[in-house]
Amino acid sequence: MDPKNNINQTTLHPYSRSVSIIGVGCTPFMYTLDNPETAGLTEGELFGYAALKAMEDAGVTPKDVEYYFHGQASPFNGSNYITPNLQVSEWFGMRGKGSIHHSEACCTGYLALEQAVNAVASGKYNVVLSGCVEMGDAIADIDKPAHFRKKFDDALFQESLKWIYDRAYTRAMMCGPNLHQDDGAAWYKQTYGLTDEEMDDTLLSMACNSRRSAAKNPLALARKTYEEMAREAGYENTLEFMKENFPKMTGNLRAPGLELKCDGAAAFIVCPTEMASQFTSKKPIEVLGIGNATREANQPHVELYGTLEATRQVYELTGVKPEEIDLLMTNDFFITSQLIAAECSGYLPKGEGWKYFIEGRTSYDGDKPINTNGGRCSFGHAHAASGVADIYEAVLQMRGEAGEHQINKLPKTTFIRGFGGAQNLAAIILRTKE
Amino acid sequence: MGVKLERIVKTYYDNLEQGKITARKCKDCGAIEWPPLLACNTCGSTEMEWIEIEAKGKMLQFVMSSPITRRPEMEDIKPYVLAVVQIDEGPAVNAMVRGITRKNKKLIESKLPYPVHATIVPRDGYSTVIFDIDEVEE
Repeated sequence: MDPKNNINQTTLHPYSRSVSIIGVGCTPFMYTLDNPETAGLTEGELFGYAALKAMEDAGVTPKDVEYYFHGQASPFNGSNYITPNLQVSEWFGMRGKGSIHHSEACCTGYLALEQAVNAVASGKYNVVLSGCVEMGDAIADIDKPAHFRKKFDDALFQESLKWIYDRAYTRAMMCGPNLHQDDGAAWYKQTYGLTDEEMDDTLLSMACNSRRSAAKNPLALARKTYEEMAREAGYENTLEFMKENFPKMTGNLRAPGLELKCDGAAAFIVCPTEMASQFTSKKPIEVLGIGNATREANQPHVELYGTLEATRQVYELTGVKPEEIDLLMTNDFFITSQLIAAECSGYLPKGEGWKYFIEGRTSYDGDKPINTNGGRCSFGHAHAASGVADIYEAVLQMRGEAGEHQINKLPKTTFIRGFGGAQNLAAIILRTKE
Repeated sequence: MGVKLERIVKTYYDNLEQGKITARKCKDCGAIEWPPLLACNTCGSTEMEWIEIEAKGKMLQFVMSSPITRRPEMEDIKPYVLAVVQIDEGPAVNAMVRGITRKNKKLIESKLPYPVHATIVPRDGYSTVIFDIDEVEE
């Protein structure tokens, strides 16, 4: 790695006061149109449900919440809105209170935490709601009321993906938007000398591990394990089943390693750590720090260098060591990101991480759990909402409330790696406040 | 002196139409921004000057195109790969590279970083820069 690639670095300063997450809420991630009971759900209902669940969990009411942040990756396309915070503002008892919308594509949900923590740490507000919603599968039928939706088909989705990329040069050079699916795997193979087959086995094993976690998670979209599918199809070897039934879609990825685009919402409540006990008896989850980096898609190895810089910032600020991390959550819309995030954060050893996936150690019941909700390829990817869903999962795990997919060792420290929008990077460290 | 409002993107594409690949060089630290930008990302200076570059360089990594990365609008330049290219003037970018096929892929891979050179290709109403590999040595 050429260190010149991170020439512009930022030193973070400590928050003016400690801020903690005290409540979380999340909808199931779903294809709303595919189920008669969910077809017609709207942005207001989804965001409102997640927001009110977060308030209920935190022990606060809409009257206690002073401000809210709203995130959505593509509100004009998905909802035909350009001020989407206003369009849901009547739905959860906060009429008239201040709010702002932000949009950073698939990193939106992670930066939802950045926004909310800064607002409380500054002293301006004490109790803040932050949430995201995305209708990633059921987009607006724009001339009709909001419950009229239509499928966001792949052709339209591919067309909308262009909007992430720079129009001055990147789109015209035709590479950055198409390389990113494979960049991490290609870089890793070349750097550490893996064969194509070893990388294939690594990525398929990741998908199996994540699906085993999703199978135990009632909010997850896809819950049938690949082991079960293989058995039903008469295969003894699950990876052999996957290789024969899922052709490569990119240079390295097969369908089990690609996101499941869907609908969903999630939200959380933050407040000053010292005030948490006024609202809830649950242990607050303190936000120790958030590192940030932004790199445009024409630049080489955007995910790699951006993650390294964001990670460097948050470790430097907090003094936390990689060996203290008990749980890793990361955007994995291309599942390779689990490997890149795990090694850049030091959660898995450099050049060796791929073996942990093949050995099954990263599922909810392994010793190095990653994306225990199932990740984007099994839990589902409701773009902006997914980052908040990762925060929701981290909080449940840290409280010991994750039910059947609770990890073996109660995590005290969680590292969350945000990524998205070609590309924004975030590195978040959460710690249970004793 | 100081920052000047100018049409950098238009100038770059106009120059491509004249067969020239241009960049912006920092007068303070000498770093080159390609494609050209307003300020220097190395030292932050706004004292930038236009230069013409040859854009020969090295391909550092590549992946073959695939079902979900192929685009109808890119048919006319295939076969191509998606690559990381560092030009001799300094900048590294993600760029299209022609000349690699299933047949010579392993050979080229074994010789990375592989020499490449820039080629200006016409698109729909403008031109852009891709790269071709230098002659394959067996």
